[in-house]
Amino acid sequence: MIVAITSSGKTPESSVDPRFGRCPYYLLYDTDKDTFEAINNSGQSAYGGAGVQAAQAVSDMNADVLITTNIGPNAFRVLDSAGIKVYSGVSGTVKEAIDNFKKGTLGLISSPNVGHKYGAGPGHGKRGRR
Amino acid sequence: MWGINTGQAQVTEREAGDKLKISIASGKGGTGKTSVAVGIARSIEYCQFLDYDVEAPNASIFLKPDIKNVEKVTMRQPYFLTETGADFSKCVEFCRYNAVAYVRGKVVFFPELCHGCGGCLLVGPPGAVKERDIEVGKIIRGRASPGIDFIMGDLNPGSLRTVTVQAKLDEYIDEKQTVIIDCPPGTSCPMVASVKNSDFCILVTEPTPFGLNDLEISAEVLRKLGIPHGVIINRDGIGDDSVERFCDKNNIKILEKIPNDINIAKAYSDGITMPEYNKKWIKRFMAVIDLIEKENK
Repeated sequence: MIVAITSSGKTPESSVDPRFGRCPYYLLYDTDKDTFEAINNSGQSAYGGAGVQAAQAVSDMNADVLITTNIGPNAFRVLDSAGIKVYSGVSGTVKEAIDNFKKGTLGLISSPNVGHKYGAGPGHGKRGRR
Repeated sequence: MWGINTGQAQVTEREAGDKLKISIASGKGGTGKTSVAVGIARSIEYCQFLDYDVEAPNASIFLKPDIKNVEKVTMRQPYFLTETGADFSKCVEFCRYNAVAYVRGKVVFFPELCHGCGGCLLVGPPGAVKERDIEVGKIIRGRASPGIDFIMGDLNPGSLRTVTVQAKLDEYIDEKQTVIIDCPPGTSCPMVASVKNSDFCILVTEPTPFGLNDLEISAEVLRKLGIPHGVIINRDGIGDDSVERFCDKNNIKILEKIPNDINIAKAYSDGITMPEYNKKWIKRFMAVIDLIEKENK
């Protein structure tokens, strides 16, 4: 089974990045081989629809599970269609997250836990009347 | 809005014999764009008035037009024939707005992210992507007394296709009349789409640091678009003199100052325009038009 985790760095010691669409890296953990692989998030600076793009990417990585902190409605819809299980609200290091996942102490969610544009950076996709 | 290249805005040349097209913009919201726009329209009496603030049109509250015609504004949007079993990955690759995902044989489409460019039809599996019209807003036309040809765009709630509705408004601009364009606030695509057809833009600001900040950005946009502009200071008497200093320094004419008068605000809240509240404003708004005529000669 492949577990994707949003990560601030390339190693399991990095902290879980709270942003799904705009995190710098995805760490892919293979539960059978007990190995990690770091993948650059090429959609980090997407102008809009970063969540959709990231969900597409995670699906293309053949992930079965996603661990992150915040997940928005559009990304969730794509992940749900792909049949990817989502664990959100997770913090700490990637390694801790994996340990907790193995112990079964992470909470599976069935709906997005943040609204649209939650993780948008300055000047990216923040629609306002200005 | 979504990074449409505003550098491509076409600024039209004014031909001899054409009447002036004046846009009223601001940068900062709530500075009095609509008050000034409807005040000018009421003062010149015979003109065309276009409400380009399609996300929140409100000029009709003051001009009280008789609505004669309501027309739908539509855009093309794709739908995906997934039962064909075709591979839609190319559509995903192409869409820079990430409006479509294709995961494990399923298409997930986000109509609110789609700009209707039609690219997915061109690059997608032949015959498996189709298009249909969807309604994004309305054009509402009528007549306001005594001789105001009134046209407003009204974006449907939930739709983000502001500029699509504004582009439809462009088609109604009548070169044979003086045209007053009430713009949306801000300096992004909807503002640019509103001012681009005008010969002159009035920037309404309040004399505060907030007003100044957004005035500076708006003036910069107009300068880049090559649209002559001047300033009306509203709620004059509050704040500081930084707006006047900015205008002096940048050679931007201050066309009028509207005092910070509670009675103007009270009239506004009753849907009464400044010329109706006090006739002296007819003269003062006509003087603004004269100044603009001179600037544009």
